[in-house]
Amino acid sequence: MLEVLHSLLFSTLDAAPALVFAALGAMLSERAGVVSVGVEGMMRTGAFCAAVAALVMPTPLAVLVGMVAGAGLAAVHGFLSIRWRSDQVVSGMALNLVAMAGGTFLLESLFGPNGTPAITQLSRWNVPALAHVPLLGALVGHAAPTYLALTLPFAFHLLLSRTPLGLRLRAVGDKPHAVATLGLSVSGLRWAAVLGGGLMAGLGGAVLSTAVLDRFEQHTPAGLGFMALAAMVFGRWTPLGAFAAALFFAFGNALRIGLASSAPWLLELVPQGFLLALPYLLTLLVLALQGQRGHAPAALGTPYEQESR
Amino acid sequence: MGERTRQVLPSVLSVLLALAVCWLTIALTRDADTATRAYLQMLWGGVGNWPAFLDGGNANTVLRPLGEAAMKAALLTLTGLSVAVAFKVGLFNIGAQGQMIWGALAAALVGAHVSLPTVLHVPLALLAAAAAGAVWSSIAGILKLKRGVHEVISTIMLNWVAVSLVDNWLVIGPLRAVAEGHQSSITGTAEILSTAQLPRLLGDSSRLNLGFPLALVCALTVWVWLARTNSGYETRAVGLTPEAARAAGIPTLWRAGGAMALAGALAGLAGAVLVLGTEGRYPGTLGAPYGFDGIAIALIGNNHPLGAAVSAAVFGILRAGGTRMQLLGVHKSFPELIQGFALLFVAGRMVWLALLDRRRARQAAVEVPRA
Amino acid sequence: MSLEDASLDIVPGELLAVVGENGAGKSSLMNVLYGLYHPDAGTFLMDGKPVRLKSPRDAIARGIGMVHQHFMLVPTLTVAENVVLGREPTKRGLLDLDRACDEVAATAKRFGFQLDPRARVDTLTVGSQQKVEIVKALHRGAQVLILDEPTAVLTPQESDELAQVMRGLVKQGRTVVLISHKLKEVLGVADRVAVMRRGRTVAEVRASETTVSALASLMVGEGSRGAALTGVPLTSGASGTGTAANTHASSPLVPDAKSTHAGFPPPGSVGPDARHDNTGLAPSGPVVLEAKDLRAKGDNGRPALQGVSLTVHAGEIVGIAGVDGNGQRELAEVLTGLRALDGGGGTLLGGPLADLTPARAKARGVGHVPEDRLARAVVKAMTVEENVALGRHRQPPFASGPWVDFKGRRERANQLLTTYDVRPPDPTVKLQALSGGNQQKVVVARELDADPKLLVVVQPTRGLDIGAVAQLGRRMLGAEPDHG
Repeated sequence: MLEVLHSLLFSTLDAAPALVFAALGAMLSERAGVVSVGVEGMMRTGAFCAAVAALVMPTPLAVLVGMVAGAGLAAVHGFLSIRWRSDQVVSGMALNLVAMAGGTFLLESLFGPNGTPAITQLSRWNVPALAHVPLLGALVGHAAPTYLALTLPFAFHLLLSRTPLGLRLRAVGDKPHAVATLGLSVSGLRWAAVLGGGLMAGLGGAVLSTAVLDRFEQHTPAGLGFMALAAMVFGRWTPLGAFAAALFFAFGNALRIGLASSAPWLLELVPQGFLLALPYLLTLLVLALQGQRGHAPAALGTPYEQESR
Repeated sequence: MGERTRQVLPSVLSVLLALAVCWLTIALTRDADTATRAYLQMLWGGVGNWPAFLDGGNANTVLRPLGEAAMKAALLTLTGLSVAVAFKVGLFNIGAQGQMIWGALAAALVGAHVSLPTVLHVPLALLAAAAAGAVWSSIAGILKLKRGVHEVISTIMLNWVAVSLVDNWLVIGPLRAVAEGHQSSITGTAEILSTAQLPRLLGDSSRLNLGFPLALVCALTVWVWLARTNSGYETRAVGLTPEAARAAGIPTLWRAGGAMALAGALAGLAGAVLVLGTEGRYPGTLGAPYGFDGIAIALIGNNHPLGAAVSAAVFGILRAGGTRMQLLGVHKSFPELIQGFALLFVAGRMVWLALLDRRRARQAAVEVPRA
Repeated sequence: MSLEDASLDIVPGELLAVVGENGAGKSSLMNVLYGLYHPDAGTFLMDGKPVRLKSPRDAIARGIGMVHQHFMLVPTLTVAENVVLGREPTKRGLLDLDRACDEVAATAKRFGFQLDPRARVDTLTVGSQQKVEIVKALHRGAQVLILDEPTAVLTPQESDELAQVMRGLVKQGRTVVLISHKLKEVLGVADRVAVMRRGRTVAEVRASETTVSALASLMVGEGSRGAALTGVPLTSGASGTGTAANTHASSPLVPDAKSTHAGFPPPGSVGPDARHDNTGLAPSGPVVLEAKDLRAKGDNGRPALQGVSLTVHAGEIVGIAGVDGNGQRELAEVLTGLRALDGGGGTLLGGPLADLTPARAKARGVGHVPEDRLARAVVKAMTVEENVALGRHRQPPFASGPWVDFKGRRERANQLLTTYDVRPPDPTVKLQALSGGNQQKVVVARELDADPKLLVVVQPTRGLDIGAVAQLGRRMLGAEPDHG
């Protein structure tokens, strides 16, 4: 039993970072009032660019490239939705489609159908002495992103709740006009949040191809970006909430995969598809029970116009 | 510049720009010559190789590609309409994919397990699909209208619930076809009865089936409904200014809910056309994301029912031709890249309009020199 | 948008009031002073030197603070967070909330406000929120404080309190610029009054040397006033009718085609004595509305109507006066079925008030010219003819059966556009292409064309120029002889 729990915990921690980073990125952007349905595309871009970059440079650097790539896609989103006040959902979905098809096209034309060549994975942090201690051992043996994913949410929490920048970001997501009348730049703050969100989503994608796998695979991130959105909503647009939700969803995934190999009879009773649907069902349920209005930033999705009359 | 031009021009320019950008993409990863030849292949693959045909080729050289294009256009039209109808009432239906999945499943089940003559069987299967899609979209509609849950979030969630439940449970579990003897590796649901198949319109020379005219009829009907009937007028009013519509005595909740249900029904029909027209069963996984494509189709068509039909026709042709590009080593998903870029450029509609207005202003300045 | 050749001198340490009708350019002028709008021409001198205010940041740096008519507060943040936003005290890079609270408490105390710095803004009353706005400006070192229509949302008690606050600020050497259209209130508190009309400053007078009526005629301009308002109980803001406490008559009125006109009560207190303002006709017609003890909540969930009773006879015009935000809008919404009742009831045109819906109200013959035209009365992205049909779109001549009757609609629209002199008289343009006055004419034309038995009109002249007001007034009265 302990052993099962141990391996569940281990695989949860191994798989969670991508989800955590993407959820934090989406949250950052949305807290400043810019809808972030484009995370899936930003993750894909980050994953692809990191995998390609890792062919020619050390993997940690390649991860940075992936982050910048994610931010690059976010910049397009910012250009359309902040500069030109386009519909933020349209812009995000467009980026998803471009990243989806563009990733496939580039992959096929540069590397062929089997994905990019294998790259050196991010190295894992092994502590042999601890590795066999029950449960505690599950905490070691991961790559750097896992530890980053365990700390970054707290940093984001601090950023949003305890720094001037965080205060301004929250204000700009709730009432941009109030921020403008104080002489602060609404679009500047939103740009910062959108680009920051892009960096995080790109990081989430890069982790997929450099730590979870060792290449860019056709379908990456296979809906993980949307699950990150679910985690953000489920976590009520807060860093720690999104973190907890992402961990919970990652645990659910680990449980499902674990069950498939160790206790297939259980999956006869509780179908795998049902477990797959669970994060989304739970998110829907939470939304249905409390309604969304109370927690989403008030100005979410509304382009800022200086003169409202 | 007329109102109509302002609506149409950005879409046309966006598609052209997307074509140009994507041509450049091939030209840069390969070379310019390949890019041009690939585009020609895409065109022949979509509308048929007319030069060869006129040179005395087989009629099939144009009928087959056109049939493929029409098939894809039918699916895109229906999902595009789904998104456009929801837009008319101010809701963003990201969930066409999920609604289409349930529609496809319903059609597959009715097609396989009910026996009726064709004249009844096909309509019943279509109806079942429409109903299934409508039920699924209504969940999002009710959540929005009763609980204030944003439809973008709820439809995204519902998509994944649908994929998980149908693809990863129902069709590989309870609803999986029973393997018969030698067929041990069957995936998906049981094959539909021949009475449920959408009739082919051109016999064996093309896969063109009833789905295409059905989609066109849907587009026309939706357009007539929105433009010429009282309830369509009410629906548009609710979408544009809900409070004014309410003050005018329009039952806004019913109109919004109704439009969302209709959106689901249309996406469900797309699933039915896929299953009854081409797949013959609900396959192991409904891979093609026609539901997501619908977003692009609707927006490129400026959320106009006929605009959606036109943009579906264009991208149906490109996508049918996409398979031909593989002859030159360009992946068949390439048209989707064009579609993605076109949507991205359409999202910048404001940019287009600003550019067009500036150009017009400059012309005006030239024509009427200041006194 | 609406400023042409406006000049204003502001003297340190005084309380200057800027008055003018709605749309006279007061707010635009103040937004220029605050760096939100940029003037096309003209200069701005401070201490004799020309300055350019590129953004509110510049204005703040030069000691100008502004309290906007619609509060610029982030509802989810605390009082202290709102006040320090943009110039937050920090400790080792982190927000120092304790110091922020202390600072804010100190500022509040210095100027005599009672505020809990840790309270979330959305839990405060409107009056307290306004104090937060004032503290916000003072906290930034504002020497000149601009208050844009500050009493529009306040109760009489809160307004009195605000007047004391303003005097107190002036006593402490600050300069206060008060923008208002409530003349009596202005005269009670200001040192000097600047009058604006149609984007120009037309006069500057000492408050002690003028009267309400003198200011009123300066505001509307000689001559036009009579034409606009004679005999029409469209009490525009300038007219000075109103409740004793507060001088202001926001001017909702409820005339009907049979010249019925219902008045609005002051906050929750009005009993059966709503004044009947007759235009020559005795209230002898049949009762069209008999409302008793109406109770309803406002948008914020707080009680907006607390026992309003009202009787309206056919053929009379009843004016309802009261300070903005004291339930007039809500009453109009109740009467048109847009707002649910919490209590009370009565009859409206032969049916109960209790379960009124917009559709039922329409069916019984209630017309509505709402306060917020763009949100409530029109679909601006639709064409003029589609807007003419709105509400009656299922009846001839706008429809035949389930179908839109394009020909009938076009004919009726053309006819109305000509009768009401809407410009341009083209039924196929989008409504948003028309000017505000012409949009309003479309609304009035539509509502009167429906031949209502009771017409509810709220602030019909808001944002319109004098000419349009005069014309509307004539239209509404003109509707009367046809039926009365």
